[in-house]
Amino acid sequence: MKKHTLGCSSSTSNSKGKKIYDQDDELLAVLGYNVKSGDMVDVASKIEHLEGVLNNDDGLSQYASDTNHLNPSDLNSWLESMISELNPMMGSGGDQDLGAVAGINNGMVKGWSTPENLAGEMEVGEKSCGSGYPLGGKGVFEFVEGSGVVNGWSTPEKLAGISPEMEVGGSGGGSGYPFAKRVKLCTSPDPPPSGSGSSAYPEIQNPNPNPNPNQIVIVDSQENGIRLVHTLMACAEAVEGNNMLLAENLVKQAGMLAVAQAGAMRKVATYFAEALARRIYKLSPENPQDTPAFQDFLEMHFYETCPYIKFAHFTANQAILESFVGKKKVHVIDFSMKQGMQWPALMQALALRPGGPPVFRLTGIGLPSNDGKDHLQEVGWKLAQLADTINVEFEYRGFVANSLADLEPGMFDLRDDEVVAVNSVFELHRLLGRPMAVEKVLDVVKGLKPVILTVVEQEANHNGLVFLDRFTESLHYYSTLFDSLESSGGGSGGGEGASEQDKIMSEVYLGKQICNVVACEGMDRVERHETLTQWKTRLDSAGFEAVHLGSNAFKQASMLLALFAGGDGYRVEENNGCLMLGWHTRPLITTSAWKLK
Amino acid sequence: MKRSLSVNEYHNNGLKIKKSKTNNPAEPESDSGSAEVVLNDDNLLYEILKRVEARTLGTASCVSKKWHETAQDERLWEVICTQHSSNIGCSINQLRSVVLALGGFRCLHSHYLLPLSKPFVSFPTSSSSSTVAAATYTSAWPCLSPRAVAPAKATAAKSRWGKDEIQLSLSLLSIRYFEKLDYNKRNL
Repeated sequence: MKKHTLGCSSSTSNSKGKKIYDQDDELLAVLGYNVKSGDMVDVASKIEHLEGVLNNDDGLSQYASDTNHLNPSDLNSWLESMISELNPMMGSGGDQDLGAVAGINNGMVKGWSTPENLAGEMEVGEKSCGSGYPLGGKGVFEFVEGSGVVNGWSTPEKLAGISPEMEVGGSGGGSGYPFAKRVKLCTSPDPPPSGSGSSAYPEIQNPNPNPNPNQIVIVDSQENGIRLVHTLMACAEAVEGNNMLLAENLVKQAGMLAVAQAGAMRKVATYFAEALARRIYKLSPENPQDTPAFQDFLEMHFYETCPYIKFAHFTANQAILESFVGKKKVHVIDFSMKQGMQWPALMQALALRPGGPPVFRLTGIGLPSNDGKDHLQEVGWKLAQLADTINVEFEYRGFVANSLADLEPGMFDLRDDEVVAVNSVFELHRLLGRPMAVEKVLDVVKGLKPVILTVVEQEANHNGLVFLDRFTESLHYYSTLFDSLESSGGGSGGGEGASEQDKIMSEVYLGKQICNVVACEGMDRVERHETLTQWKTRLDSAGFEAVHLGSNAFKQASMLLALFAGGDGYRVEENNGCLMLGWHTRPLITTSAWKLK
Repeated sequence: MKRSLSVNEYHNNGLKIKKSKTNNPAEPESDSGSAEVVLNDDNLLYEILKRVEARTLGTASCVSKKWHETAQDERLWEVICTQHSSNIGCSINQLRSVVLALGGFRCLHSHYLLPLSKPFVSFPTSSSSSTVAAATYTSAWPCLSPRAVAPAKATAAKSRWGKDEIQLSLSLLSIRYFEKLDYNKRNL
């Protein structure tokens, strides 16, 4: 295979550092493609883009596969011209007259007709593909030196030489690049005569000499998504800098961009935009209908839709169960009683343990309810029914407290012959708004002398001192969470999958958290999540040491995910004895267990 | 009767015997359909069904009303649930009393053990694109990964379950029972 060095190689580079980026990628060169190493990412993203465009429109893809393409070996520019040619198609919005469609046929090739045209085309292509949105400082579509590439194509001999190579390159390269498969390679019927460039290409026509350089790329929703994210961040930055006018404008822009999105991104962006608006206009997010009962209601739907809370309950239960081995009288103190969904499974496991169940006492702490109903009592009654059914001796007590910091050890009626476990699922972070509150609670816990303290918390730092940091962190966190919600609803979960209503309620549930993180401050801001490392430090200094969650917990968690999770994106990870549940690569919640040193 | 015959096979044979002319016209009428013997004798049917697999047992319960009644027997489903792992830590009596109280073995199997033994089939919307370019984009932002339509993966179902599956199923059964309790309908 002849290697063709089109475009500027090391000859045009000035500094040594630039040399690597200017050299052709070796692996691809072997296949007959000339792509510069520095451009690899761009080429890949353009292929992605083009694939998306062609996939989105069946009519187009058919034409794409029927066209003849000259010189696909310089992937970068070839893709660019394809994209720029497709753009007039997409811009017209679907009513494709055959003339325009036929333009593709010819247009594909036109980029190579003359060197001058080439340079012109590439500029246009660049603009129409929405350059200028840097992601982390790097331009989305970076271009090879126009002149350098042009030089490579001007001589017909080179092209003639290239043509037979294309066959090899195409078939060989097919594995790596989807386009190679679809493209019919150029077998120019008459070898181009040496000399004039333009006459060598019989298929060349020039229907659109000047396509509109300011086209909107309708297909690229990913690009708009990035734009949206950046708008939100810019808005947060403006809020941080107290630049409220700018922030106002940006939040309106964000709102409009959000509507144009689809799926998870749209929902997350809408919630964040709303939260930012609340912060900007200093609207109190306190909704009078937001009783604890309503919160519980939303949380129940979140419980049904995705495995996070179930994971929390199952792993914490496993730790508690293991610490209760051999004990005859056990007492669990639950800081997060809510609907009591954690305890049926524990009671059942205790009922079926070898040697029979212990005497089981449960003390539940909950918020006062505004609607006159005693929710703690209701939950207690239900648990008592269950205990009666499975023959477990059961005693229940419900405590109402506005904050965990109001509790004292003396309240719990501890008995001498029983062992105590303390359980907290998504409750401890609420204490961080008040100085010394969490330390006090941990002191109280120590006073109870528990054999185990199980803590489940969100794995994120939403309690930083700088608003912008909190905003960025939470935007990433909740995007991941919403992403996982999107794919839920397919789980076999005992025959009942998550319904649409469940999903919507779960989103509202998360939306309230978002609102709290972004729009509230001081005592109002209760969603002060912190990472495992931070909690570790805190618990360590309070006198606790970590207990490793066993392999049983890991197994149960993995099986649970297989059963309930709607997608295969959930991951259980073990981190120094603690279990983390995450979506793809991002851990989202962590279960950890602690005992007194 | 031969133990190796599954219930369906036996039933089919019975039908065949009924349909074809009896070879021995001198035989009394009651012997012309062995299937009728099984159809009418609950004990016999029970003995047969004790030895079949879950799927067969489920199919059997759809045959006729009589078969349905017999196939619903909790003892049969108990055998099915516990056949693969004899030791889950507690005594069989303990297990029986708890499971029957929480909804029964049939419920345990159909709602939880069965889905657990069938590895989950992934849905088309769940996987994200896996090309290089996508990786560079998705690492930047979670929601923006283009959702490629992946064909649903069908994996081979394993029909065995171990101690862990049973424990998980039991937990879920207890949660289900708990959820169904209605405070407002309690006897005052």
